[in-house]
Amino acid sequence: MSAMTRAPLLRSLLAASTLLAPAAVKAQAIDYQALQETIGEPVTTSVTGKPQRASELPASAIIITRDDIAKSPARDVPGLLKAYAGIDVNRWTAGQTDVAVRGGVQTYNARLLVLVDGRQVYLDHYGMTDWNLLSVQLEEIQQIELVRGPANALYGFNAASGVVNIVTRRGGQAPSAVATAELGNHGISKISGSLLLPVTSTIGLKLAGARAREDERSIPTTLLTPAMINSVASNQITADLTAALGGMDLTLGGGHADNRQIEYLPSQLLSNQHFRSDTMHGFMTRDTDWGGLTLGGYVNWLDADYGVGAVPDATAPITFKNRIIVAQASSLIRLSAADTLRVGTEYRNNRLRSDYQFSDRISYDVASANAMLDLHPLEQVSLTAAGRLDRLWLHQSGEIAQPAYDDPAAFSRAFTRFSFNAAVLVHTGAEGLLRINGGRGYQLPSLVDFGIRLPIITPSPVPIYVAGSPRTNPVAVWSGEIGYSHPAGPVRLEATAFVTRTKNAIASPGDGLQTELFLSPAPSLVARFQAVGDFTTYGTELAASGQLATLVWRANYTWTHSDDQLGGTALPIPFALSPASTTPTHKANLTLTYTTGRASLSGAARYTSATRQFAFSTSPQLLLYPVDAAVAVDGRAAFHLTQAVELFVAGENLTLARGAAVSPIPADRRVRAGLRLAL
Amino acid sequence: MALSSAAPLSAELNVPIAARVVSFLQPPPSGTMAAAILFEPGNAASEAEANAIERAVGNGLVAGRSAIRARRVPIGAMGALSGYHVAFVTAGLRPEQGDIAAAAAKSSVLTISSDAACVQAARCVVGISTVPKTQITVSKAAARASNIRFGSAFLMLVKEI
Repeated sequence: MSAMTRAPLLRSLLAASTLLAPAAVKAQAIDYQALQETIGEPVTTSVTGKPQRASELPASAIIITRDDIAKSPARDVPGLLKAYAGIDVNRWTAGQTDVAVRGGVQTYNARLLVLVDGRQVYLDHYGMTDWNLLSVQLEEIQQIELVRGPANALYGFNAASGVVNIVTRRGGQAPSAVATAELGNHGISKISGSLLLPVTSTIGLKLAGARAREDERSIPTTLLTPAMINSVASNQITADLTAALGGMDLTLGGGHADNRQIEYLPSQLLSNQHFRSDTMHGFMTRDTDWGGLTLGGYVNWLDADYGVGAVPDATAPITFKNRIIVAQASSLIRLSAADTLRVGTEYRNNRLRSDYQFSDRISYDVASANAMLDLHPLEQVSLTAAGRLDRLWLHQSGEIAQPAYDDPAAFSRAFTRFSFNAAVLVHTGAEGLLRINGGRGYQLPSLVDFGIRLPIITPSPVPIYVAGSPRTNPVAVWSGEIGYSHPAGPVRLEATAFVTRTKNAIASPGDGLQTELFLSPAPSLVARFQAVGDFTTYGTELAASGQLATLVWRANYTWTHSDDQLGGTALPIPFALSPASTTPTHKANLTLTYTTGRASLSGAARYTSATRQFAFSTSPQLLLYPVDAAVAVDGRAAFHLTQAVELFVAGENLTLARGAAVSPIPADRRVRAGLRLAL
Repeated sequence: MALSSAAPLSAELNVPIAARVVSFLQPPPSGTMAAAILFEPGNAASEAEANAIERAVGNGLVAGRSAIRARRVPIGAMGALSGYHVAFVTAGLRPEQGDIAAAAAKSSVLTISSDAACVQAARCVVGISTVPKTQITVSKAAARASNIRFGSAFLMLVKEI
């Protein structure tokens, strides 16, 4: 994407941000840190859009604070999330990670929407998240919020099994900087940091960046691999300018990220990828006597090269160029001292360009409206209901690839979906809380699902193509849960039972190659991305946490059962999707953090029961490979030389459990040491 | 989740939280904010809390973009609280809370107390309790009388009566 194309978009964002400047109302963006320090617990807006205490949320949610992050052995966001109940983190390769909420484990998980400060970093071309392309550093994170269950009523398509919102720090009156440098085995090297710089008393600048490298894990010789295997490399830089001007809080920013790594595609073929993303955004927040107003937008560009260096001489990769434009407006209205209404609207345009699809451009526009009502009819009872209407118009344009397997008119399609969430909270006694909530959300077919058209290399005398379909429908996800939390002395206890039903799940063609035969102009076969059936996941999450002197502990256990009516797993496997096989039934975590004087020690033990995961053998044949049950221990020891300088050593999978990555590629032990500066 | 707010051992006012509350005033305060610690000489509870508040504020306490500087003010010398932006109302002043509210309204002073009854009676603007967990109560009537406004994000997290 050229700079010339981006400049008018940035000007538009700037213009939109300044339109409301003259109005004489007072501004106050959400200052999560200040609110947390005021009320004594984390605050989030991720569940309903209004600020709420972590202990009184109308959904099951996780909030990982800045302090948790600083002491954790984890070195990325999925590493932090995996220690919590109901979360599956699969490290398919050294670089590729998927996070699944309450089952549905698969590569390129499309049902978890990931945001940074409310902006989507989820990649729409394939419907996935590249966690090494987030353009956010652990050093700049204020808190990580994860809502379990559909959150589409607030966030729209793709928050079908949950949403992760990463909230970054705001600058204060004094400059501050945090930087980390680390080296480890398996080629680990990383430099990262963030700088908060007050420019004037009302304007602040934030800069953040990172450079990270590490080697790929040893891939068993029984698995099909490309001729060349790339190591993991990522570079990221972002800049944000914040200002409190004329009664408003403004944020303008942008960033660039670059990531190379080998990944399992949804088909379960291993492939070297190179992703480059750019983003620009502008947001304005105002606080008024009656509530708040937020207006903003962002543009994300992605250049994704698939099959990079498939042979040492390098072949031309398969390139997709995705651009998404989003404009949003929302208002939070205080109906009374306790009751709140939120209304919002959003427009997005999403475009994918490639030589490997039905035509040059596959795109869609989505117009949305949403509303949330939070009522407190009684002191002990609160009711929350939220709904969202999304209308999507699908398009294609440009030269149509021949032979065409669909009528071009099939891409002139529109559909409407309604998502909703509802919750009842009942306070029992002084501190007990009963929560009953549920909802319905949708996973949108990705642009690839709609329009890809890719020849595949087979010994077949008839050419075979893998293709999307413009007739693919959104995947509906229904969810219901009941949860109860209560302190028992110094221990906080939580128990949740949940059920999630995913209807018409979309899968990539597998080994069975269920094909359509086209005879004109010459015979060819087409295997489609398609809806392959339903699956249901139910289970329980039990969690306890507390503090003994300077020892902070947290423990949880998750039981998950999946039933699926999909394509089956008998050979030849028709589709690489079987949550019943790939989702661990049992997971348990124990996290301990001990601080004394200048030293801190933290350890995290995680048990995952045995699973089977998809991969292609060298034959090549799509198979389910057994992955052993694993007890993996991560640890971090740190010593403060001064208040600002910390030395640390940290390791993942110290127990060298092969199944710790829950991947066909066994996990290894990764140890690193480094220096952390906090000025 | 590790929490950072400090809870006092008794029903004394949690001054760090009170300072945070001040930072949510609209328009956001900047510069130095003068605070009066209202106490009754000879009243042991009132004097003890005044001492604790004075120690907690020390030479100045940061409240967002401003800094709070406090001085002890005997209730008899309160006057109209002119020159003050904030008043910490210590325990044991219930008979005087009406006069305090009147003075605060006259001079647009934010009154903060650990005495929930003061807020319930709409004589203090903000009440802070920390047991079993932090609860902040804001009296709409007292706030209106003193022309005090808070940001809506803050108000959505507290109990407004």
